[in-house]
Amino acid sequence: MQNVIERVINLLIYLLESPVPVTADNVRFTVAGYGDQTDDAFHRMFERDKEVLRRLGIPLERQALDGFEVDFGYRVDPEKYALPDPGLTEEERFALSVAARMVRLGGGNAGLEGLNKLGGVERGVGLEPLGADLGAESEILGDLFRAVTERRQIRFRYKDEDRSFKPYGLAHRRGHWYLAGDGPDGPRVFRIDRMDALEVGDEAGAFARPAGFDIRATMISQPWDLGSEPKLVAKVRFDPEVAWWAARTLGVAAADGKALEVELPVSNADAFVGWILSFGASAEVLSPDEMRTEIRARVQAAVAGVK
Amino acid sequence: MTSPRTVSRLARILALIPYVLSKDSVDVDEILDRFGYTEADLSKDLNTLFVCGLPGYGPGDLMEAYIDESEVIIDAADYFARAPRLTSTEALGLLAAGMAIIGSGQANPTLAGAVDKLTKVVLPDAEGAISVEVAGEMASVGQLREAARQQLAVHITYRSLSREEETVRVIEPWAVFATLGNWYVQAYCRMVEGERVFRVDRIRSMEVTESRFERPKGIPEPGVSYSPSDDDIVCRLGLSPSARWVLDYYPVEVIRESKKETVISFSSPDAQIPSRLLLRLGSAARFISGDEVRATVAEIGKRLLAIYR
Repeated sequence: MQNVIERVINLLIYLLESPVPVTADNVRFTVAGYGDQTDDAFHRMFERDKEVLRRLGIPLERQALDGFEVDFGYRVDPEKYALPDPGLTEEERFALSVAARMVRLGGGNAGLEGLNKLGGVERGVGLEPLGADLGAESEILGDLFRAVTERRQIRFRYKDEDRSFKPYGLAHRRGHWYLAGDGPDGPRVFRIDRMDALEVGDEAGAFARPAGFDIRATMISQPWDLGSEPKLVAKVRFDPEVAWWAARTLGVAAADGKALEVELPVSNADAFVGWILSFGASAEVLSPDEMRTEIRARVQAAVAGVK
Repeated sequence: MTSPRTVSRLARILALIPYVLSKDSVDVDEILDRFGYTEADLSKDLNTLFVCGLPGYGPGDLMEAYIDESEVIIDAADYFARAPRLTSTEALGLLAAGMAIIGSGQANPTLAGAVDKLTKVVLPDAEGAISVEVAGEMASVGQLREAARQQLAVHITYRSLSREEETVRVIEPWAVFATLGNWYVQAYCRMVEGERVFRVDRIRSMEVTESRFERPKGIPEPGVSYSPSDDDIVCRLGLSPSARWVLDYYPVEVIRESKKETVISFSSPDAQIPSRLLLRLGSAARFISGDEVRATVAEIGKRLLAIYR
């Protein structure tokens, strides 16, 4: 490990300081730590070290040195390497570190590690009795974030279909991450945990994000709103013992100990009926009639199934 | 594959150098605290830097890096005058954490300012591209967090997620956390005399008492992902393709799978959850076995059919 660290630091210095792209052979015969290796061992070592640079987030560029693309050179552009200084105050760094300690993306605490690059933060704070896990495979989430920030086209599989897509933004709602953007079928929102076989395009700035794009406008608050314009308005009654809870979920006011009647815009009737039935017999759809018929049919099917 | 520890160590070194270079003098203790170093690890990293530098690797080519009395000295390392940019995961981790806290009603202007500055650097042309909301804003989250911090017991009226009943109990809140889009409180419950996890939005009303408690040392990480126990009721269901989403939402075991139907085993602490699921799915699911679920579906179904005549 000691050797790897020395060698990677020396390699990085060489790549940052070299005015022109350098070849693998340049590296081999110039940078300390690569000498005395067989061709094969050098090749493996160099590949591994480039991978380390990539995992550190260092933009390693590879360029053809001739028209025939036989020889390749490597460099790290100091301007692309360096973090633009956001000018955080010590208090702001501390606030971010508390947040990063409380909120995780799946298993890791990458945010906290990133804070070191922003100047670190004085630790020594006690246990914070509040935490949140935004649970996600951060690998794919990190790649999608890069695609969003660098405006790279992506390809992925979703429900057995291959898609190409312009990713505009990411949102976390109700325990799930969503990706919003534009594709051949028009604007769409995808659930990230259902995406598969993600490929990020090579070209940065491959598309323009619509002016004034705001992902909050594409993400709606309730699952049955997800999709498009509201198709119908449902009138629902909640019994007194669940009324307070329904009111809290819906963000409406309810009188304690009284039943609640509300009208709700619905664009995904299927998800809405599912939510209503999660209240058992303590909630009732009063209108429209078609939805009542649908609920009756589902209940009849379920009851017939257990006979 | 190079180990994640090596990568983390390198990342810390590349962050440490510009920090030290930017200061006139830096105390060892400050570095230990700020970058989470032990003294041994810091000297090890400085010793490494001492033998790194520009090709040639003569005395004038190498970095200077050492501890002088209680001061950390790094010099002749201009190429590392600025920290490397954040990786995507680091940037998203920081932004998402900040946005999640702001969105949970725990906001403070300092954090909002920090998120704003960071957004401008990381997403210069993409403001509005990221949004994080953990769960609905709830006053009770803040109250429970404060009670946990002060170690004060809380009197709650709770509506159980799975049973249709309300209970009144006194809990000793250890930690408040959000996962899967909901807030939970991990607590010792004086009524059942054991550790329990409660969903905060199911707490109908609460009152912080004056009764103090001692938070146990080494509280286990709260977990709400469900792990089946021996007391569980188990049922077996067949899902048609349109009901396959159930696999994403519930901790079920897949028994067998074909194009037409996925057969699952569903374990749960009581019959309400799978029964309501069956009612919701209607003809998209097939009941196979499970006596309690059979009885519960029939019972709730009867009440529902009386409503939807």
